[in-house]
Amino acid sequence: MDEILGEFIAETLETLETLSSEVVAWEADPTDQSRLAAFFRFFHTVKGSCGFLNLPRFERLAHAAEDVLAAVRRGERGADPATVSAVLAVMDRIGALARGLGGDETIPESDDDALLDALLASAGGFEIFEPLPEAHDDTPASIIADPPAGEAEGHGSEPDAAGPAHAKAGERAPRTIRLPLALIDQLMSGISDMVLARNDLARRMRERAIDPDLESSFERLSANVADLRDMISKTRMQRVDRLYAAIPRMVRDLTRELGKKATLDLDGGEVEMDREMIEMVVDPLTHIVRNALDHGIETPAERRAAGKAEAGALHVVARQSGNQIVIEVRDDGRGIDRAALVEKAIGAGLLTAADAARIGDAEKLNLIFHAGLSTAAEVTSISGRGVGMDVVRANIEQIGGVIAIASVPGRGTTITMRVPLTLTIIPGLIVRSGQHFFAMPRNNVVELLHQTSGMVAIEEVGGARIATIRGQRHAFIDLEDVLKLGRAKNASGPRTLMVIRSPAGQPYVLGVQAVESNEELVIRPASPSVTAAGVFAGMTLPDNGQPMLLLDAAGLAHVARLALRETDAWHRTAAPEAEVQAEPTMQALMFRERDGTRRLIPLAVVDRVEDIAAEQIAPCGTAAFVRIEERLVPALNAAERADSGLKSLRLYAGDEQLCYLIADVIDIVDVPLTVDAGLAGGRLAGLVMVGEGQFEMLDPFALFAEARAQGTIARAGQPIRCLIPDEDDAWMRNILAPLLVQAGHEVRFGPVTEVATEADAAHVILRGKAHDAEGPDAGEIPVVTLREDAVPTAAAPDTVYRYDRAQIFAAIAQAARRVA
Amino acid sequence: MTESLFLFASIADVPVAVRAAEVEAVVRLGDIVPIPLVQAHVRGLAALRSRVLTVIDMEARIFGKGGLDESASLAIVADIAAHSYGFLVDAVSDICLAPEEAQPVHGRIDPAWAPYVSGVVQREGRSHLLVTLADFAAPPGAGALAA
Repeated sequence: MDEILGEFIAETLETLETLSSEVVAWEADPTDQSRLAAFFRFFHTVKGSCGFLNLPRFERLAHAAEDVLAAVRRGERGADPATVSAVLAVMDRIGALARGLGGDETIPESDDDALLDALLASAGGFEIFEPLPEAHDDTPASIIADPPAGEAEGHGSEPDAAGPAHAKAGERAPRTIRLPLALIDQLMSGISDMVLARNDLARRMRERAIDPDLESSFERLSANVADLRDMISKTRMQRVDRLYAAIPRMVRDLTRELGKKATLDLDGGEVEMDREMIEMVVDPLTHIVRNALDHGIETPAERRAAGKAEAGALHVVARQSGNQIVIEVRDDGRGIDRAALVEKAIGAGLLTAADAARIGDAEKLNLIFHAGLSTAAEVTSISGRGVGMDVVRANIEQIGGVIAIASVPGRGTTITMRVPLTLTIIPGLIVRSGQHFFAMPRNNVVELLHQTSGMVAIEEVGGARIATIRGQRHAFIDLEDVLKLGRAKNASGPRTLMVIRSPAGQPYVLGVQAVESNEELVIRPASPSVTAAGVFAGMTLPDNGQPMLLLDAAGLAHVARLALRETDAWHRTAAPEAEVQAEPTMQALMFRERDGTRRLIPLAVVDRVEDIAAEQIAPCGTAAFVRIEERLVPALNAAERADSGLKSLRLYAGDEQLCYLIADVIDIVDVPLTVDAGLAGGRLAGLVMVGEGQFEMLDPFALFAEARAQGTIARAGQPIRCLIPDEDDAWMRNILAPLLVQAGHEVRFGPVTEVATEADAAHVILRGKAHDAEGPDAGEIPVVTLREDAVPTAAAPDTVYRYDRAQIFAAIAQAARRVA
Repeated sequence: MTESLFLFASIADVPVAVRAAEVEAVVRLGDIVPIPLVQAHVRGLAALRSRVLTVIDMEARIFGKGGLDESASLAIVADIAAHSYGFLVDAVSDICLAPEEAQPVHGRIDPAWAPYVSGVVQREGRSHLLVTLADFAAPPGAGALAA
């Protein structure tokens, strides 16, 4: 928001500067329509920007001036000198306020009223200005001091020792200049040249023996170039706030228009993405938000009837995930009516009733992305004007993104857009076909396999080739065949199969000679004579300096004449439906044990994977602990000494946790819910087939039981609060209390004044032998009494010997459990 | 009569002239990476510093076949509609001033050349066919081209 505010200030002042030359001319000839239009536009822009920047004071001034000018334009009022002066005064005030926002100058707001009065007075008492409907707290100081949540970084957090006046001076807007984008692009390509020259130099240096000094200075230069490239790329980045800027206003206006209520929650505004990308996402996002308000969120009456809060909740969340930006729009509205969608689709001839009966829920939902299908019963002015989700999807896919939809009837809809971080740099796989190298965008590639893998079965039926991978049948094409290239005769090793997900429809399998490497590629558009081939999406210059073409997954499928559109797919897969039907699966983490064995564990119990240094492991008798963030977590597999870094799977079950030490994490795989071959006993639940191998699946139940049996399971919940009423007892104070604290419990001293029902009451009271077994006021709180003698006496049979550590802890734990 | 700068070159032994304003540079290209599935006159891609040029064989474009042999590397570099191209030619003879107004072509020109030639530029008493690079870059079938 700071950035937007800064931009607003810069823009406003810039426009004012341009207009200032017009002022005199306008005064001389107030009837000049073109000048009048320029002023009108200025106020209009200011008013518009202020709406979402929450600058009501600006808005009020601009609104009033705009009204007056509109009246002048309509000829309802003359541009007499008084009016002109009043308008100019408002302009000056806006300029002063804008400068005030960036600095520490304040103008009392009451002055504004005088200006507005002047505007109205010159209208001859004719009431043009209407007060805005909402009352805002609108002193400039509060605007600055009270920015929308999450925007205060770098401001409010500064130490404020010098008092408010100085703090405000520190809030001066950062100094900025405006640069043409073309200049940044030139800088970027200059840097790219530098990177290539560096790579070329590096290659030449490798070819001959170079003295180490030269090498080290080259390394330094090389690192600088890399940093510089990163910095230049950052100049293209902008905060997602910019994308959010127009949403609050839109939601406000739309809800009023539709007679609905909605609360808006914007999250992740600090995430940065390429400014060009932001521009590409604005329209789809706007459309999705409109849809959510128009079709998703119900009217207050409907919501009440459905037992929901009157105001719908709309969440827009942005986050970075790897090199993608995920933007999620979530509403708690009525969800998407599948039946209506299907009916429309049948009506539009997209599918037959038989198809409709067969397709799954996800496919029904995906119908919404088809042209001409909108579930709204009536086309409203807000959305549903023919440009629908099909256009949204096309726009997102055009920039290499993916859009997904999830919807629960009656509960709401979530639409997730995943777009690359920048338009120009994408991760790609370099594939080889004979002498040729091509790049394939990595987000098109679902999976890589060797053709000889046991998971793949390739058959040829009447010229069509089909690859069956784990029961899924895919159309299979070879890159060389599609591109009409010769096969390499002496290719060594098996060919590689890539399962390609193309925006155009069903995944297919593409065979290539080899996948060479994985690189971040700077993509530029290919020239029309190249794109005419229909299979190339762009071109790139990887670090080796040899130009390379980027393959277009959808284009390849098209050129290979694969019928891939969903509708076609329904028809094609009619027969083998049952065979393809996947059994329910769960996700499991595949990891390498410290002895090298590959095993699986259900992902659900893994809270996190951590790097563990050898020093963090604390053996303790037969058990062991891992020290994590000043806490000891029981560990399994810690018996062997670690020479190098280990990883730990933090397993989590309610309030118990333990660390399972492993060598490394391999992958996350889908496995059947039930093991293929059960084993009884031990840590293993059984064998699970994954792809072409079978792996042992750990049994979390057995792991926790084992840790418990070792007596090492940590109670991750609240520590036990112990109360020692006799704080003068030296043994209690100096010997027992430290022992308890060390064990993670809380110790308090003092008389028993509380009862067990209080929230922070002690769990257990500890007494020495000097006291009677039961205090008069202990209430419900259990008491553990310690004795000095090893042998219990007949007088106090239930006491615990005070040097029996295990007994003491057991008694405390038991007492605490009794309270719980 | 005003004069302007022209680049004089030869394609298939035919002297041609290109307005210098269209030309960015004349370079010898390094390796040309061939492109599958495109028309024969699109020779491939070549790197020029950090730029990637689409290399067009002008001779092949004009005659629809044949063209220069593999070793050809002399290219006129030009940016057309935000894309960079290298146009392969046999030879480049000179850049110099010539009368700006192209003269009409007298006599019947080879039909293959006809779509590309907009006139004749005289230099040192010799006629050069005036061509526009953009005509060679446009994808086939676009505009007036029938190559």
